[in-house]
Amino acid sequence: MSAWRPQLAAAAGIFQRDLTVFLSYRWRLGTQYVGVLFSLAVFYYISRLVRVEAFATPTAYFSYAAVGVIILQVLQVTLDIPVAVRQELVAGTFERMAVSPFGPVASILSLFLFPIASAILTMLVTLTLTAVVFGLDPSWSRVPLAIPVAAVGALALGAIALLFVAMIVRFKQAPGAAYVLAAISLVAGFYFPVELLPWWLSWASDVQPFTPAVDLLRHLLVGLPLRASAWGDVARLVGFSAVLLPVGVAGLSLAIDRSRRLGTLTEY
Amino acid sequence: MGAGMPLTDDERLRVAHPADPRPTPGQDAEPLLVVEGLRKHWRGRPAPTLDELDLELSPGEVVAVTGRNGTGKTTLLRIIGGLVAPDRGLVQLDGIALGTRRRAYQRQIGLLTPGDRGLYARVTVARHLDLWARLALLDTQARAAAISSVHARFDLADIADLRVDQLSMGQRQRVRLALVFLHAPRLVLLDEPATSLDVVALGFVRRAVDELARRGGMCLVVVPEGADPGLEAGRALVLRDGRLERA
Repeated sequence: MSAWRPQLAAAAGIFQRDLTVFLSYRWRLGTQYVGVLFSLAVFYYISRLVRVEAFATPTAYFSYAAVGVIILQVLQVTLDIPVAVRQELVAGTFERMAVSPFGPVASILSLFLFPIASAILTMLVTLTLTAVVFGLDPSWSRVPLAIPVAAVGALALGAIALLFVAMIVRFKQAPGAAYVLAAISLVAGFYFPVELLPWWLSWASDVQPFTPAVDLLRHLLVGLPLRASAWGDVARLVGFSAVLLPVGVAGLSLAIDRSRRLGTLTEY
Repeated sequence: MGAGMPLTDDERLRVAHPADPRPTPGQDAEPLLVVEGLRKHWRGRPAPTLDELDLELSPGEVVAVTGRNGTGKTTLLRIIGGLVAPDRGLVQLDGIALGTRRRAYQRQIGLLTPGDRGLYARVTVARHLDLWARLALLDTQARAAAISSVHARFDLADIADLRVDQLSMGQRQRVRLALVFLHAPRLVLLDEPATSLDVVALGFVRRAVDELARRGGMCLVVVPEGADPGLEAGRALVLRDGRLERA
């Protein structure tokens, strides 16, 4: 453990730095949650306007969509990391990380800590807003179980974000990030059940980690029934993370090595 | 220095902060930094920037490298610092080859890149020092000692609680230099360290380099041809056509 202590302290230092920068923008925290409130309000009124077979009551659909809003926040925060790395490269601060004993790969991995913590906080605030403003009754007793599920889900997302970071480091741009966000929100069932997808698209809901993450979080946060077994969802989520993370780290390492050769780590 | 003649910055500096006598590196001292056959050919350039370049630095040595713009001085520092990979050649520091045992190699390096980049505008000086001490993987006690040492050495007490966007260019350069010396590296690589510094701040750099040399460290400083490196170098070299020559 003592051998890891300096590494943990370095990672904590990057977390503190990100927190300091975040808090230095005084309005950022408030505006972030105002955006969430507006999204929730939209789905609240849609749930009151439209009646569909798949949901017995308007509240059932609202609770379904509210978890989708939560997951979208997590996804958005994670996919902002490549943008943060780009800023580090442009500002020249990444050079310092690259020459430090802690190293560039560990530094970039540490850049995920604050967004993941922020995403979990956002999840809790969003849940509170659904209860206080929109009268939903979340399963508060299960919320502690939802936190590790959200964290593993964020890891799987993080692995995909790592590949985008690798593209940013190597090619200076990652043009697909916005499309990934849109595609995942479509095929992972953020706002409607994946069973409604056409047959030629429904396979896509099974080959990424977000469908089981959304399914588990819905069950834990608002008590909706699971589509598959809980252990099956957990196994898929952990499996995706276990496969995608090493791929993401390897891709990033390759991108950094290549950029060292091309000189683009310094002249971004 | 005739009576009534204004002093140059360098002369004032020597009066204000006389350099401590630096030990002459022993003739038989084994070089700690060995660079052999270094080559780097940037894409789009007609000729290699560095071509079969050799360099050795022994403990206690301060070496200045000058050269025209674009001759590869910054490239040389960045390669030794581990930021840029060479096409071929050997860089070895205290027996550790660049590209092997990365962490052990980087622990011994302090690199000042040119310009005023590399700081977070909305973060205080104190937070910068703490962050970079952590990235250097210093333990808690060593961090406190290192931060306290550079506070004194670069006179940072008055600006420690200020954010970088509240600092002048010269103050930023002092912070950047403090980060270079923070983890007591064995080899300090300085790219145009005098940028934006006043005569007093230049004195801080000279003293830091003197202390480094006294404890057996080495310093490689690069400046454009004709510019004052702001340091007393034991050896001066010129980078020309990809190789180093005596000035």
